[in-house]
Amino acid sequence: MIAVPVPWILALSAVLFVLGALGVLLRRNAIVIFLGVEIMLNAANLAFVAFAMERAGSGSVSSAISGQLFVFFVIGVAAAEAAVGLALFIAIHRLKETIDVDRLNILRW
Amino acid sequence: MTLEQFVPFVPEIALAVAALAVLLAGIPMGRKAPRALALLSVAAMAVSAILVVLYATPSAGPEVILGGMLSVDGFGVFFKLLFLLAGAITLLMGVGYVVRAGYGYGEFASLVLFATVGMMVMASGANLASLYVGLELMALSVYILVGYFKLEVKSNEGAVKYFVLGALSSAILLYGISLVYGGLGTLELGAIRDALAAGSPSGRVVGLGIVLVSFGMLFKVAAVPFHVWTPDAYEGAPTPITAFISVAPKAAAFAMFLRLFLGAFRPAIGQWHGVLWVAAAATMIYGNLAALTQDNVKRMLAYSSIAHAGYALLGIVAANAMGAWSLLLYMLIYTFMNLGAFGFVALLESRGYAGELVTDYAGLAKRAPAAAAGMLILMLALAGIPPTGGFMGKLYVFSAAVQAGYVWLVVIAVIMSAVSLYYYFRIVVQMYLHDGDGSELAALVRDRWLEIGIAACVVVVLILGVWPAPALGWAQAGLAALGF
Amino acid sequence: MGFIQHHLLNIICYLPLAGALLIIFGIRKENTKAIKAVATVVAGLDFLASIPLWFLYRPDGPEFQFVVRGEWIPKVGVQYYFGVDGFAVLLILLTTLLTFISIYSSFTAITHREKEYYVFLLLLSTGMMGVFMSLDFVLFYVFWEVMLVPMYFLIGVWGGPRKLYAAIKFFLYTLVGSVLMLVGILALYFYNSTGLEAIGLPGLGNAATFEIPKLYEIAPHIPPELQFWIFLAFFVGFAIKVPMWPFHTWLPDAHVEAPTAGSVILAGVLLKMGTYGFVRFSLPLLPDATMKAVAWVGPLAIIAIIYGALVAMAQKDMKKLVAYSSVSHMGFVMLGMFALNAPGLRGAILQMINHGVSTGALFLLVGIVYERRHNRLIAEYGGIAKVMPLYAMFFMVMTMSSIGLPTLNGFIGEFTILIGAFNHSWVWALFAATGIVLGAAYMLWMYQRVFFGELTNEKNKDLKDLNRREQWTLIPLIILAFWIGLYPKPFFRIMEPTVTRVLERVGAAAPDRPETPAALRAVSEHHEEPAAEPAEASSETE
Repeated sequence: MIAVPVPWILALSAVLFVLGALGVLLRRNAIVIFLGVEIMLNAANLAFVAFAMERAGSGSVSSAISGQLFVFFVIGVAAAEAAVGLALFIAIHRLKETIDVDRLNILRW
Repeated sequence: MTLEQFVPFVPEIALAVAALAVLLAGIPMGRKAPRALALLSVAAMAVSAILVVLYATPSAGPEVILGGMLSVDGFGVFFKLLFLLAGAITLLMGVGYVVRAGYGYGEFASLVLFATVGMMVMASGANLASLYVGLELMALSVYILVGYFKLEVKSNEGAVKYFVLGALSSAILLYGISLVYGGLGTLELGAIRDALAAGSPSGRVVGLGIVLVSFGMLFKVAAVPFHVWTPDAYEGAPTPITAFISVAPKAAAFAMFLRLFLGAFRPAIGQWHGVLWVAAAATMIYGNLAALTQDNVKRMLAYSSIAHAGYALLGIVAANAMGAWSLLLYMLIYTFMNLGAFGFVALLESRGYAGELVTDYAGLAKRAPAAAAGMLILMLALAGIPPTGGFMGKLYVFSAAVQAGYVWLVVIAVIMSAVSLYYYFRIVVQMYLHDGDGSELAALVRDRWLEIGIAACVVVVLILGVWPAPALGWAQAGLAALGF
Repeated sequence: MGFIQHHLLNIICYLPLAGALLIIFGIRKENTKAIKAVATVVAGLDFLASIPLWFLYRPDGPEFQFVVRGEWIPKVGVQYYFGVDGFAVLLILLTTLLTFISIYSSFTAITHREKEYYVFLLLLSTGMMGVFMSLDFVLFYVFWEVMLVPMYFLIGVWGGPRKLYAAIKFFLYTLVGSVLMLVGILALYFYNSTGLEAIGLPGLGNAATFEIPKLYEIAPHIPPELQFWIFLAFFVGFAIKVPMWPFHTWLPDAHVEAPTAGSVILAGVLLKMGTYGFVRFSLPLLPDATMKAVAWVGPLAIIAIIYGALVAMAQKDMKKLVAYSSVSHMGFVMLGMFALNAPGLRGAILQMINHGVSTGALFLLVGIVYERRHNRLIAEYGGIAKVMPLYAMFFMVMTMSSIGLPTLNGFIGEFTILIGAFNHSWVWALFAATGIVLGAAYMLWMYQRVFFGELTNEKNKDLKDLNRREQWTLIPLIILAFWIGLYPKPFFRIMEPTVTRVLERVGAAAPDRPETPAALRAVSEHHEEPAAEPAEASSETE
């Protein structure tokens, strides 16, 4: 098995982060925007894992563990975030029959 | 790790348990006995505050517990007590409001309690992981609170906007944290500080990480250009919640900001002080100028709170001991000013959203002289006119920035703070100099608890203005945690 | 004696506050009689309480007397520190007297929301007193800003048609000035202690303090460049208050819209705070910058004198005319001050008092006819002397006082300033003399149009002359005008230590200056003997 070099993983993570950010900025459907946010979170997770791998490679195990541990925190938080977010989207969909953020315009955006 | 290490964490644990209990008790009591539930929640806050004083106060210097996750220090004590106080006042001010609007009180109280737990963790986190989790606990609770009036489109809209942008900012913050971790190999604030002081090998990655973290934090404190969610969330949220999110989460974000930037990242000040200088200047200028044209009082106060974030940022830009303690003091004073001001808006909202327009205040001085006088004092405080606490707060953050030599930034700050008088006084003009034609809906609701909450805020603001010395001492007790 | 020494200033400062609280919490708003009675009695007592300052202040004693001192915010070196020198004593006496008079004069002029009105007047009085007593910068600043709030309401609630605009303009203008001054104060504070890090300015390393007498001591050590910037910051704050040209535009609006009592306080006391600030802070704390600023402050003062006079001449509204005359007169004060010699400074201080007395009285007088006719246009009147002889006489005395007729107070002040200006440069004196001539012209021209000639306007036929109360509001000011005009020596005596010390401190920056203050004092020893002055003579013959 050939190990993927760490910089490549980091590059992928950066690409994912930018893609996610673009999704948030360009798309208008709230669900898709939220998807973009999730991609950004996972880009961060990927970066954590990659850096932790690098640390483990250089022998500092406790440092590597703290990075990997963080990923689990993020996964947990992201799940909670999804629950709250989707609940809010459902609530507004009931009232306005849309989750297009451009049409959420009672308040000046 | 021993069991004793959990002792300083007992206030948070107790409050979290109370939050769950209130959530359960809310099923039978939320609509039938909201006031009893409010008293229960406030009692839980009081117990937690007592526990903070008894068990979370450091005997000597700052002490790190639970595997480097939390720090026990005066800084944490200061902010925890502040959050508990702000939360308790919110709970009291919210009862009548939520009940009048026809919603249950149980989830409301429970979410405020959960948010407070999150903020308490933010105030004492010594590790990026615990800070992040505390931040998210606070943020998720607050998103729901903003959308609490689920049958009001405004409330929902505010919540969705707040949520989307808040989640985005968390993601940016998180990516920044991952880069800092990647460059330094640690998540502990103390270790980060040491590594930066020693000169880190991969400076550029860390620098980018710090800048991204600063973006995330600027978002949470509602600084320009990351402020766009603020007016919408503040206007849409139920007013007691607006009061809450304008003070407690902001203070919590500043607590985290201080721990990160003055505590951990201070050796790398060259990486971030330019960003924060620009953000502070832009925030003060934009917040104040945008507030000038607002006719909706909640929106105006939202822009005003953006402006206040700008003043407070001076304390971080100054990056000296005075900057740190002045920011603590500022947050204390700001909490009472804004809670009181939004409390007044809640007091005026008799039906629907009436009482939100500036003109709804016309002739208030005649019909309700005491209320008008209280609002006058709060407006003077927000504008920074002595002898109110608002002046003392500004005086010290401005002093800190002058001491650090950022004189031009302070010149911007003082001029903008003079400008701010204009929009605060639009309300005063309506209250005192207009008679009103009787058509405005500004009939005051009778809400004893709300009135007591507001009166307490007014009195505290005056006391802090006339005799700030003790509060200043408490704020200075927090310095050791940041390594000053 | 000990009690008086240690508590007198507190009593004078907070008595009006106590009165205001009593009115707020003790009297219902319908009970206007009681409100007026309490306000008048409190203001009267306050004036009586301030009189001992005049007798007990010892010019040969320490610089600041009646000191009240305690810690306020010890961690940052802020003290609760009251104390007065002769200069402050004069201004405090002026303030308590004018406060009493304005309250007493408002009984019939103010007919709605009386409770709030008297509360704000009393609060204003406490604020003004605090400004003149504070010897700690933060304390001073607190009072300096506190005072704006009641003044805002006095203009905004009880003012004329454009009151909202005038009130907020007044507030914002002065606030912008004072916040910049705050930056200057902070720079001074940190230069004395830790220095200003990022701009590479090391401090002197002293214990951090806002105490003004302590800061006097470091004045000569402040580097010139820093002095310049601090001077500029102070200048904006004080010049707006004075108001100096071109910062004067708030003044006509505020004066015209304010109720009579508001105008009296505004002209009599609030404007003095600007010049007080210069004498107390700018000059002694920033000697080097002061010396350099003479070159541009002098011309600005001259512009104010001439400009104020010319604009006053063109006014159709009596109150506006008096307002612009204030710009001109305060220009005199600034000119005398920045001549930086003993007669100039003496004259400036005396002229501050004079202006308070005569302009205050003129505003009262204009207010009296306004109350009867609700009109202030000069063209509406004419021949008033026939129906209101007593009024015409009082007005005449005050007009003469304002234009500087010998035997009246204005003469002594203006003449002393002229000596000072002449000692500095004959050009200054020339312009100042022109200003005096113009002043005589517009005042007398107004007097002539209002009082002499035929009684043309029907509405003026039944005007009632001054009643007993109105006379009594004016009589103290007239007595004061004659007293200063005939026997100014006690006034000069009480201010002399201030004059000497300020000039010593300014001189300390430039020991090689040819005119030392000591020499100057000898030159002007005979300021009380009026030599015939062309400008004065012309004003008499008109």
